[in-house]
Amino acid sequence: MKTQIKSSLNAGITFGIVSLFLYLIGFTTTASQIIQNLFKLKPASIVLGMDSLVFSFSLFIGLIGVWAGVNQARSQKGQPFGTVLMSATLTGLTHGLIVALVAYITGSLNASGVKMNTYLSQLLPASVKLFLFNQTSVLGALSQLAFLTLTALLGGAVTYGLTVSNVFGKLADAWHSLWKQVNSVPAVARFRASPYFSSVMYGLLLLVMLLVPLRVGQYWNYTLGTVGIYVLLGLGLNIVVGLAGLLNLGYVAFFAIGAYTVALLTSPAPHGLVWNFWLVLPLGILAATLVGVLLVVPVLRMRGDYLAIVTLGFGEIIRILSKSDALTWLTGGPKGVNNVGGPVLFGWVFNDVGYLYLIFLSVLLAIFVTRRLQNSRVGRAWESMREDETVSRAMGINILRHKVLAFAIGAAFAGLGGVLFAARNQFTGPEDHNMMVSINVLSAVIVGGMGSIPGVIAGAFVLKGLPEILRELENYRVLAFATLLVVMMLVRPAGILPASRRKFEHEKGRAVPGEEGAK
Amino acid sequence: MKIALETRGVVKQFGGLVAVNSVDLVVPENSIFSVIGPNGAGKTTFYNCITGFYTPEKGDVLFFGESILGLSPDQITYRGIARTYQNIRLFSTMSAIENIMVGEHSRLNANWAEAIIRTPRMVKEEKAAVEEARRLLNFVGLTGLGDQAARNLPYGAQRRLEIARALASRPKLLLLDEPTAGMNPNETAEMVDFVHRLRDELGIAILLIEHDMRMVMGVSDRIAVLDYGEKIAEGSPSEIQNNPRVIEAYLGKPMSEYEA
Repeated sequence: MKTQIKSSLNAGITFGIVSLFLYLIGFTTTASQIIQNLFKLKPASIVLGMDSLVFSFSLFIGLIGVWAGVNQARSQKGQPFGTVLMSATLTGLTHGLIVALVAYITGSLNASGVKMNTYLSQLLPASVKLFLFNQTSVLGALSQLAFLTLTALLGGAVTYGLTVSNVFGKLADAWHSLWKQVNSVPAVARFRASPYFSSVMYGLLLLVMLLVPLRVGQYWNYTLGTVGIYVLLGLGLNIVVGLAGLLNLGYVAFFAIGAYTVALLTSPAPHGLVWNFWLVLPLGILAATLVGVLLVVPVLRMRGDYLAIVTLGFGEIIRILSKSDALTWLTGGPKGVNNVGGPVLFGWVFNDVGYLYLIFLSVLLAIFVTRRLQNSRVGRAWESMREDETVSRAMGINILRHKVLAFAIGAAFAGLGGVLFAARNQFTGPEDHNMMVSINVLSAVIVGGMGSIPGVIAGAFVLKGLPEILRELENYRVLAFATLLVVMMLVRPAGILPASRRKFEHEKGRAVPGEEGAK
Repeated sequence: MKIALETRGVVKQFGGLVAVNSVDLVVPENSIFSVIGPNGAGKTTFYNCITGFYTPEKGDVLFFGESILGLSPDQITYRGIARTYQNIRLFSTMSAIENIMVGEHSRLNANWAEAIIRTPRMVKEEKAAVEEARRLLNFVGLTGLGDQAARNLPYGAQRRLEIARALASRPKLLLLDEPTAGMNPNETAEMVDFVHRLRDELGIAILLIEHDMRMVMGVSDRIAVLDYGEKIAEGSPSEIQNNPRVIEAYLGKPMSEYEA
């Protein structure tokens, strides 16, 4: 009993702090506006006897209240109904008391004319009023207390009901049996087993890739292109970090070299070399690869953290060199390089659609190369190095050669990414190549799942696509993004789509006694 | 009979500590040779000198008559020496069969360009590599566990997988470092049979470090005893069992000698 009370109070305090935090940074108001927009409610209209904004706010804070109850009820699994309800109510009460107290204090201060947004910039009088449901301080605070307690009670009761009746378990069972039935239809089963299945799937994917750029408009083409370039970078870093296990924090250096190669060779200023893009493209890749090899040679014997620090420094050196006064004659200095030339094919100057096709094509090429390498003697050598470098040497693997190879191929992908990036933006400058690029790409690889190609793609979408989708949250974009990342790593610590191992003993299509059709 | 491995006066020092002091060994082809000694006697250091992880300060290591002193570990594996580890060191997230295929590395040739293009030669080699890995999996009795991640295998299976991985390079000399550590008497007895099979079916020389005396006495053709980095005895199992210096190294001197 005592432990239950303690845990209820703890949960209540946690939720109280979360609610207050959201209140003090003004997120409660933004969230209410988003809900208002979502349901297409007109401002100042009346819903259920309330102002539409107050209604939206009630919905938002109510959801947090219900969540508190659900959360607490879930931790009381197997307890009798009364205990669960009491526990959830106590959580709601604690939650409500904390919120009500602060709501009362801020409300009174606001009523007496103190401008709190001098101290907390987002705590506007309107926000404070909204947090009190547009009531007086006392009435608003009491409403908060009652509302949060009741919603927690509701959440607890619903959770108990769902747990006892095992609705989710039954739904999952139903889904599985439906899936099984669909697969047991002879036509479907034959299609899935036929050699055309994967071709058809790839064909569909290709069709989507062909059609999407024509349909979604310039803004999304640009965003998708950025995501695509990050997929490319992620695939390269995935070879270095995910497969070979070499922590490289200066990956942006190779990206910068690709970008600067194309910029300096195709732009009229500062060198006046207006070379053809298609000629410069392989040169950019080559330059990045060469620098990758040159960098890795001196650091070959370093492992783990030491390698990370050296590569981090290298990434910064390249960026600082690119904007240094001494090299302005070569690189264009801090201003960067403008008017970078782009690709022209049979008289067609590439527009946003063309670039997106080019990026898709590059990504497909990178996936192809990665897959081929991963499923070969080289890929196995890389992975064994990642697992245990010492034993890997004892297996006859030339560690130095394979490290150089991993760096070179990773750098080549990054170089390609850099070329595409600079050409598409028609510009490149030192600030395009700061450390955050390295960190973002590394995050994409880790969030997606190390060593996994679908993981890298998912990771790049999350890291570069999600912030665009979250634009609606305006000031709170970064907060929401960070929260999502933390949640994702908690829920799927191995990444969104972790690497799965290829089956060799029971290969697909090989008859296995007693285990036919094993996946 | 040819000599597989010969060490001549191998000395390895760490600062002032002489870990291996002038050790001479001769391991003939197709035989099982054990190195025993109390903890810290320098057995594993001696292994590291043979496999190229340490370079001895003095002496020479000959493999089928050729010096392998100063070669890197991967080069030594190419010559035909493979080893296992005292504390199992598999590539833990890779599957059992992939572990064996990594072991085959030194016998395969495909480079990165061939891997990308998938030349017919590479495809053929890869197919043969998978076949060979399946065969080895079967040889060590792990059929059916090939697609499991190495870290999910039971302890005894991991030990055997490590041996399969070592065998995948088709070594002429296999170094086993305490293969029965942590095993129960039954498993140890199986391991004795297994090591005999390795010698008889594959015809390779085996150098064994072992603490379990039942295993050592049951399996070895010849035994050398190290103590404080020096070889204090060498002979057949029965000779070693009755050697007073060996008994002293393991159990200490009899009380009567202290009193004298």
